[in-house]
Amino acid sequence: MAAAQPLDTTIGVVTPENIAFEYQLAGPFRRLPAYLIDLAVRWGVILLIGAIILMIAGTLSFLSTFYGPLAQAFILVAIFLINWFYGTICEAYFNGRTIGKWMCGIRVIEVDGRPVSPRSALLRNLLRIADMAPVAAINTWDPDVPPIYLIPTGIIGLVSMMMTERMQRLGDLAAGTMVVVDERKWQLPIAKVDDARVAALASYVPGDYRVSRKMARTLATYVERRHFLTPQRRREVARHLTDPLIERFEFRHDIDPDLLMYALYYRTFLTDSSAEPADLGPLAGYSPLAKDANKPGGLADAGVNDASEAFGEQPASQATPTSDILSESRPGTENRSPLSSSAAAVVEPAAAPNVAPNVDGGSGG
Amino acid sequence: MNVAKLLEDRRKQWNELERLCDAMELRGRADSAGAGHRGPAGIVRFASLYRSACADLALADAYQLPPNTVAYLHRLVARAHHQLYRTRSAQPGRWIRILLEEAPQRIFEDACVRVAALVFFGLFALAMVMGAAEDQFPEFAERVCGSKMLEATSESFEQPLAVNPDEYSARAAFYIKHNTGIGLQCFAYGILLIPCLFTLAYNAVVLGATFGYMSRDGIEGADNFFQFVTAHGPFELTAIALSAGAGLRLGMGLFYTRGMSRVDSMREAGHRAVPIMAAAAVMFVLAAFTEGFLSPSGAPYIFKVGWAIVSSGLITLYFVILGFPRSESTDHSVIRTVRYADLAPLPGARGGAESPQKVSATERDPGKRTSMPVGGGSRAT
Repeated sequence: MAAAQPLDTTIGVVTPENIAFEYQLAGPFRRLPAYLIDLAVRWGVILLIGAIILMIAGTLSFLSTFYGPLAQAFILVAIFLINWFYGTICEAYFNGRTIGKWMCGIRVIEVDGRPVSPRSALLRNLLRIADMAPVAAINTWDPDVPPIYLIPTGIIGLVSMMMTERMQRLGDLAAGTMVVVDERKWQLPIAKVDDARVAALASYVPGDYRVSRKMARTLATYVERRHFLTPQRRREVARHLTDPLIERFEFRHDIDPDLLMYALYYRTFLTDSSAEPADLGPLAGYSPLAKDANKPGGLADAGVNDASEAFGEQPASQATPTSDILSESRPGTENRSPLSSSAAAVVEPAAAPNVAPNVDGGSGG
Repeated sequence: MNVAKLLEDRRKQWNELERLCDAMELRGRADSAGAGHRGPAGIVRFASLYRSACADLALADAYQLPPNTVAYLHRLVARAHHQLYRTRSAQPGRWIRILLEEAPQRIFEDACVRVAALVFFGLFALAMVMGAAEDQFPEFAERVCGSKMLEATSESFEQPLAVNPDEYSARAAFYIKHNTGIGLQCFAYGILLIPCLFTLAYNAVVLGATFGYMSRDGIEGADNFFQFVTAHGPFELTAIALSAGAGLRLGMGLFYTRGMSRVDSMREAGHRAVPIMAAAAVMFVLAAFTEGFLSPSGAPYIFKVGWAIVSSGLITLYFVILGFPRSESTDHSVIRTVRYADLAPLPGARGGAESPQKVSATERDPGKRTSMPVGGGSRAT
């Protein structure tokens, strides 16, 4: 079955190294601020150059009347060059970025992933004026002003961006370029597992169970996202996947689905298949298997209400070896297991371990 | 497999690649990233780091790396890719070749330039005749341009041309900014076809009507007016037609794709239009300098006429001599496409090679036809 193309703004590019990597396209809402910054920079530069030329010409004009018109000439040519060729020059020399694009974190590249060539940069910047069409007149709002068509609305460019696959305006289409997001956030994310129960549960997953590619992807996505969910939601989301797995592994039915997902993640990504069995510590001798449910595990008769204290500050050492430090705190439930549903079950990689989550969360879910 | 361990191993190299990218993004070179990254050794190191990151990305799927890590690798490789394959800076030699080799060839062969030139000069001549023929078309010029503007034009040329030489540079700069700007605008609007044609026709008619009005009998300042416009006319009028032609080429690429996808067609048209526009821009600048320095000066008329003739000759040489299609042009693909009609064998060859096959085909056909009913009949019985 062919993988469906994700319905988002990424675009794949094949490099000369025969690697296909993905870019995120920049849409109108990233490009407009860049354009406005560029506009401000452009006129700022023009004013600066104008001021400098006028100052120089002012000092020289004592010598001859020749310099006044010459300064005027320089200013006019500067306005012309900067207004028409600012984008071209910036993009050609700064590797596809203008100052506004640099501040907004976007970059122009050719559609085949190469850097933008000077010719393409020239074409796409010259054609900006067509993308800015149609122009609106000022006297739409103020009838006293003569009808000068000054205000670009950019509707043509916007329509073109919405209708093309790579969000290109007409200038981009003609030049064969596209604008991509050039991220500057660099962090390498990998979820850490601090929970002893995860390794314990993972060791009970049958050895012949192989995680499929799709399942691995799902597990990784789930574990990366689970900090953003409340315990109840985690269980609700995970249950869809784990219910059939619990059947298949012949686990007890009150296993926390979230924990099982986490254990599968641990088994898939964080252990070597040849590694020695995990050190189960206080959890040794306990089994999540359904057939072992009635075996004396020491859990069924242990106190349940001190679960949060046991888990939070004083871990297993002070409790009985097979204490229910991790078990559900709902009173009246038989066959409690350390691996069953509990909000306090899994330590967040981000959260400090001694911040004990709500223990009663389990009863609600 | 232990992904955490794998990532920990690879992370050192990825971090190094990131540091190199940081340094290169800031300064364009990797020298500041460390002693080991200076000079050729640094380049080699960067290349090998980049290749290994590429390999990691290629294997990410096989390793079943978590999606976040894959996204990180995509960004890292993209970032290094941008630093490795940088924009080649525009070399002046390349642009000279575009102007002297590519542009005239394109102009010569491009139908859009012809259309634009026809529209511009045709309307210009028509408007000029209509503006001059006061009896047949009374008030044509006044209606087109407005009598106020025409009077102002004629008034401004009442005095003999003698602008203070100090002013020349400012005037030239003004014409560069104004006229080249109009040309570039005409080019850009060409992608939408209609605005470009409108701008072109509007300029042609207004200019033509003004010329016609000034060439009527008894208009004051007519001599000075024609003295003024003679010198820069050839360059400027040709440049307007050229920039509109380049723009029309773009627009045609968008609307008439000749069997290509629309995007490809536009890209190709854009590629072809840039040299024409570059030639037009150069002509605009030449015209502006003429208009700023020579036209308003008190130089004798014969000199201005001489310059107009020389510039017309230069344009003709440029279009015809440099633009004439060359047989050794490497621009065309080696693989040629042939129409099906051309593939048909010559009349003489038909009797030898073609007919036996045809005969055998017709021989076989009746046989089939006759055998079919027989087969059907035998089955029926």
